[in-house]
Amino acid sequence: MRVDVRALGACNRLAERGAEQAAGALASLTGTDLAVEVTGASVASGEDLAKSFAGRESIGVSVGLRGGLEGEAVLAFDAAHADALLSLLPGGQAMERSAVTEVGNIALGGFLDGWANYLGKAIDMTPPRYFEADGASVLPDGALAGDGVFLFESRLDATATDLDFSIYMLPDSGPFRDLVVGKTAPAAAPGAKGAAGAGATGAGGGDTAAESSGGGTTAIPYESLSTFASLAKRGSANAADNIAMMTGLETSVDVSRLRFVPLADVPAEVGTEPHAGTVFELRGDPSGYLAILFEEESAAKIAAAMLPTEPDEPLGGMAENALCELGNVMTSGFIDGWANVLGTSISHSPPEFVHDIGASAMSPLVAKLSRRQDYGFVIDAAIRTEGVQARCDVYALPDERELAAALARLSEP
Amino acid sequence: MTHRPVSRGRGSGIGTDSRRIKVGVGELAVATEGETLTTSGLGSCVAVALVDTRAGVRGLLHAMLPTEDGQQRPTARAGKYVDSGIEALVAALRDAGADPRRLRARIAGGAEMLDLTDAVGPRNVERVERCLDAAGIPIVARDVGEDVGRTVRFGAEGRLVVRAADGFERTI
Repeated sequence: MRVDVRALGACNRLAERGAEQAAGALASLTGTDLAVEVTGASVASGEDLAKSFAGRESIGVSVGLRGGLEGEAVLAFDAAHADALLSLLPGGQAMERSAVTEVGNIALGGFLDGWANYLGKAIDMTPPRYFEADGASVLPDGALAGDGVFLFESRLDATATDLDFSIYMLPDSGPFRDLVVGKTAPAAAPGAKGAAGAGATGAGGGDTAAESSGGGTTAIPYESLSTFASLAKRGSANAADNIAMMTGLETSVDVSRLRFVPLADVPAEVGTEPHAGTVFELRGDPSGYLAILFEEESAAKIAAAMLPTEPDEPLGGMAENALCELGNVMTSGFIDGWANVLGTSISHSPPEFVHDIGASAMSPLVAKLSRRQDYGFVIDAAIRTEGVQARCDVYALPDERELAAALARLSEP
Repeated sequence: MTHRPVSRGRGSGIGTDSRRIKVGVGELAVATEGETLTTSGLGSCVAVALVDTRAGVRGLLHAMLPTEDGQQRPTARAGKYVDSGIEALVAALRDAGADPRRLRARIAGGAEMLDLTDAVGPRNVERVERCLDAAGIPIVARDVGEDVGRTVRFGAEGRLVVRAADGFERTI
């Protein structure tokens, strides 16, 4: 079985449209302007999902799907953020059930409209069922058992008030996977255009042809995608171990997963807070970039922990050297794991220190990769050190075609 | 993403004065009712702000790369490239009632953030200059280059507020 990463791109856009529908519905309901900030499709194992949902309370709606797409789709709000949303609604908390159901219904409807067009088949949706759930029980039945599900995640950003929250779309894994696999030549993608209504594409959105060319070089065996997702995790663990060895601080990896996102959204995800860290160019198979970014305070703390004496400036020359050295060992840890599993050779450039708005630091990397691809695999991991409260985010941006080719070779006899 | 031109409306009950339209990477948007257009995290990317003061119409583009010439396939976002982005922005402004002959440009960004990424910032700026010159649109102010990230706000008065990573803010 092969998954075409361009088909994943099409899925991703559909998720984005669904999220835009949700944003529009919420804007009308709350009188607050909302924008879809980030949408991504990720491949996650049941174990990782259970971990990432641990301790979270969700509310949302689920619908059963019949016809062109089988299974269950769930739209969930973080309960904590839902309170902020509900406080804006006329009627306040009293509206909870109906407001959430209404919004969920509209968003899932938009999402599925797009899919139906893409597939050329109608999808029937059962009436929405409202739920409140703890932890990973929010996920559709069977999501935790399999070797991986596709998870769609969108973050909505309220432009006028402080109200950010995420929506997760979890189509039932098996049937959905078959659909993606069956669409390895997504020439049908143009059918998706306009499916979700005129409001779904913005002024920049003449977007259909992007996925319709590119030959067969981007098809990846599904199993390899799962392999790579676990590889991402191993890379992060290696990097964390290397920090531990270098600094003597206990480290752990908070989250690590493989996502497929529009490259242009990566800077927004990093955010506008000042960050410090290092950037590397990866050479070999696959080539690409790797960025290790700390928020300023974390960067200063970790650098201070590595230096024998207190630096004169929190993020001056001494700290820069320390962070570069740290970046070197982390990056080696990251890519050694990949190279071993992929059976390829990958090297990295010397570190380049960055200290700027996080999004600005990422923008040239994204621009460079964007010459060849609109979507990219992003591996993000948050590495936390105990004792010294510091965390960093690692963004690995491999070249899509080279990664696909390397993964495809994995399954060859 | 949702960089909706205002003419599309979003049905919110908020007064137009407080409205802000966020323009993402590779996107563009037009404002006709006094909304503030914003874009953040400009590194090597370049922001092009165009205004027809008489018509009260403004537009903002956040472009990532200089040109789509030689690209293998069409892109998902018209605003990804400077050349196609400026073309699309001018067309959108014209549709919203601006006269292209009255347009004035302010530009920001195009920093040289990294040595690793071969001067994409300066090449973006150079392409903006060339495209605007070809379209007969004068650049009245600029805050470009160096190695600093920027965030911009394009308000109703037609001036561009540029905030650098160190918090320094200037209006051009």
